[in-house]
Amino acid sequence: MKLDDRTYRDAARAASEARFARAVAACLSESADRLSPDVAERLRFGREKALELARSSRGEAVGVTASGAAIAGFGRSPWWLRFASVLPLVALVGGLVMIQNWQTRTQISVAAEIDEALLGDDLPINAYRDPGFAEFLKAPPSE
Amino acid sequence: MATEKELSDFLKSVEKRAWKRAVYAVRDEDAALDIVQDTMIRLAEKYPDRPAAELPLLFQRILSNATMDWFRRQKVKNQVVRNFSEYEGSGDDSEFDILETLEALGGPLQSESAAESVSRAQILQTIEAEVALLPARQREAFLLRYWEELDVAETAASMGCSEGSVKTHCSRAVHALAKALKAKGITS
Repeated sequence: MKLDDRTYRDAARAASEARFARAVAACLSESADRLSPDVAERLRFGREKALELARSSRGEAVGVTASGAAIAGFGRSPWWLRFASVLPLVALVGGLVMIQNWQTRTQISVAAEIDEALLGDDLPINAYRDPGFAEFLKAPPSE
Repeated sequence: MATEKELSDFLKSVEKRAWKRAVYAVRDEDAALDIVQDTMIRLAEKYPDRPAAELPLLFQRILSNATMDWFRRQKVKNQVVRNFSEYEGSGDDSEFDILETLEALGGPLQSESAAESVSRAQILQTIEAEVALLPARQREAFLLRYWEELDVAETAASMGCSEGSVKTHCSRAVHALAKALKAKGITS
């Protein structure tokens, strides 16, 4: 019987405490709703900044996952996405080949111009006094 | 994973109470704003992929840590230690019978006849001041349990203590508040 009384008293005490605590909490909520506009604005600014960060970190996570999958060869990306990722490499190789080709043609063109200038110019008179040149003139044409 | 709207709604629902709690703890409105903003950013940056149901506990935990970080930065560790040593309270609660006060209460908080002229805003201010004067752990337990409406287990998890400690802190906080408010002519 004594135990029942004690249990009852403890329960009543706990209920009273909870009722009082909730009444205080209601007052605190009422007070919190009366924030100055400045504080409310600064809280809103902080919230929006946090949401922006959440957005960007979610985006980064998605980006990292997608690139990781592409590098590892996993994932089921569409064919045009795979083609688009190879396109810059193809363009680079093509560009290098074109540069090499243009450089070779330029070198050939310069050498041809020098040869043409040498062959088209008058032969200096001293050239006939050169024994090597005299031998060259005497020798029959090879073809 | 919580959607952006869920995260936004959650932050909107807790930001005012979080700011008030930070003000009670650090007693500096600007610092409290920084703490709440820091808490929201930490939550959004580090846990953007957590389900919406986990956000309240995470937020409370981060808010507590951010508040502690502020104290550390302010180099008032000694004061924090002193506040934490007050967890056990003054020990004179037994001298005050809360039932005696509460039995006379019927409705929402109201002023006694001697304080009838005190405005509602002043009453709220007094209550806030008394809440702010509670020892840190008692205040934290009381606010998490009754204001944030966490259950005992969630409060214990958030505070990193046992459920028994939460009950003790809450009970002592209630008694201390009831005694202090009654002394100022405010009853509930």
